[in-house]
Amino acid sequence: MAETEVLRLEGVRKSFNLGLPTEVEVLHGIDLTMTSGEFVALIGPSGSGKSTLLNLIGLLDRPTAGTLRLEGHDTRALDDAALTRLRGHSIGFIFQHHHLIGAFTAAENVLMPMLLDRGRPDAAMREAAETLLDRVGLLPWRDANVGNLSGGQQQRVAIARALAMAPALVLADEPTGNLDTKSANGVFNLLREMNRLNRTSFLIVTHDPRLAQRCDRIIEVVDGRVVSDAPVPRP
Amino acid sequence: MSRWLPFEWIAGLRFLRDGWTQTLFILAGVSVGVAVIVFMSALLAGLQSNFLRRVLSAQAHIVMLPPDEIARPLRAGPGVVQDAIVQRPAQRLRSIDQWQTVLAQMAAMPQVAVATEVASGAALAVRGEASRSITLTGVRPEGYFRIVDLPANMVAGQLRLNSEDIVIGTDLATDLGVAAGDKLRVTAGSGGSATLTVAGLFDLGNRGVNERTTFVALRTAQSLLGLTGGVTSLQLTVQDPYAAEVIAQAINGATGVRADSWIRTNLQFFTAVSAQQTTNTVIRLSVGLSVALGMASVLVVSVVQRSREIGILRAMGARRGQILRVFLIQGGVLGLAGALIGSMLAVVGLLAFHASARQADGSELFPLEVDPQLFILAAVVAALTGVLAAMAPAMRAARLDPVEAIRG
Repeated sequence: MAETEVLRLEGVRKSFNLGLPTEVEVLHGIDLTMTSGEFVALIGPSGSGKSTLLNLIGLLDRPTAGTLRLEGHDTRALDDAALTRLRGHSIGFIFQHHHLIGAFTAAENVLMPMLLDRGRPDAAMREAAETLLDRVGLLPWRDANVGNLSGGQQQRVAIARALAMAPALVLADEPTGNLDTKSANGVFNLLREMNRLNRTSFLIVTHDPRLAQRCDRIIEVVDGRVVSDAPVPRP
Repeated sequence: MSRWLPFEWIAGLRFLRDGWTQTLFILAGVSVGVAVIVFMSALLAGLQSNFLRRVLSAQAHIVMLPPDEIARPLRAGPGVVQDAIVQRPAQRLRSIDQWQTVLAQMAAMPQVAVATEVASGAALAVRGEASRSITLTGVRPEGYFRIVDLPANMVAGQLRLNSEDIVIGTDLATDLGVAAGDKLRVTAGSGGSATLTVAGLFDLGNRGVNERTTFVALRTAQSLLGLTGGVTSLQLTVQDPYAAEVIAQAINGATGVRADSWIRTNLQFFTAVSAQQTTNTVIRLSVGLSVALGMASVLVVSVVQRSREIGILRAMGARRGQILRVFLIQGGVLGLAGALIGSMLAVVGLLAFHASARQADGSELFPLEVDPQLFILAAVVAALTGVLAAMAPAMRAARLDPVEAIRG
């Protein structure tokens, strides 16, 4: 299957407190590309700029300089509304803390990105949400309040939600960081399965070297620079 | 999740349900506020309408009177010195000049509903050793009783006004010891005197009026008061009682006859009503403002509590406008629901107050006439207030930086 480019960063820089004496640059010219179906680990020590980089890629923040292309769209030219639309369609988020919305059930949380995009719920959305919940093994809990689910189950719902819009890229920030070993393994395996099934690209921030080794490629960021970017050797 | 509702409504209602304790408290606050406003408005409207009805059913809207007599200055001439003080002459009982023409002119005016002539003056009613001073009012029944609803207030005898009949109040009848069918001697200030039959007794709900006011046929009054063919006033009712003052001024300008409207003769009442309305408005505005501020503060807390969820929604593709509307809808729904509950509380309060608050004679203090428009107005105003109160928190939510919000 032909691999298409999902993400391209060229010379991306990010500074905070621009124009102030406290101005600080945290990313110093990041170059990075990802193609469809890639399963990439992003590692680095705390404070190295991983989260800032993830926010830029997730279109939650804008680079100070450089180019960021998502599915071919040059994001520099897009206004806030267009960025929001592109984010909703092309990116799925999985956070360390599941960040589900407590006022809604598991199925409704999964359905939420579709509802935001289309405005009103419909039967097709409900069906798609249930299919995704079935894939993550939580169909029987579809009508459960997310507050009543275990940590592993909540993260599975978050994974289903991240895939609801069939995004080109899923950004996962320490998706297993809050789980016990067994649940962490289960969640990681699920991410891998979704990657293989849907050819969705995953960029996973992790501090766990064992999980990083199970990815296809590892990008290491130190002090705001990519210091290594290499595929994981397979025996 | 209703398939008919858009995301904003679904999320707004879910957030309200999810934070049900907060929702209940703010709903209680809005309901009490609306109940106070509706209760006060309905009570004030009822009391005013009752008072106006009593005033307007017992007097004409406009009374036309002959001009006051004034001292005539002597023409200046040799040996004539003008006094520094000119004494006001005593006002004799006089007829309105050419009243028939003026009456016809009044009856032809489109704003005038009823116009009738009255001859009235002071007299003494004597029965044996007892005597009482009275106001003798000579009327043409078919005209006058369309202005003052005396038939509805008759308590004994008949409302019959033949040339030798007199209809008196219940208190005068008690003072003089007479009943329907008895005779009375009436002597007017001009010297005219007649023995009249008490045809009936009325009760206008006011002791002073019941003691002094008497009604006779117009010709009887004219004869007793020495006003042959004359009348002391023309009394009018107009289509719009609140336009009475403007119409009175127009009549005065057109005819030269003095015309006093009920608005001018009850000026103190209007001043009291105006003061009451101002106080009421200030109280209502204060209550409304307190409710709005309370609602805004609760919604601000809600935005702070939900900032992470707002950030997540923004990350998932929620537009700023969608987030804004989620909180505006919450404000509007709280206002509307509070208005419905508050209106029901107000009705219960009004029914209880109406049942317990009575006049000295046991009759109702005010008529329970609750205008449905008041509830519609309360609902619309409360919903708008809710939306306005939610504006600041909603804008704050819409402006939240998703990165900061998710980080918490």
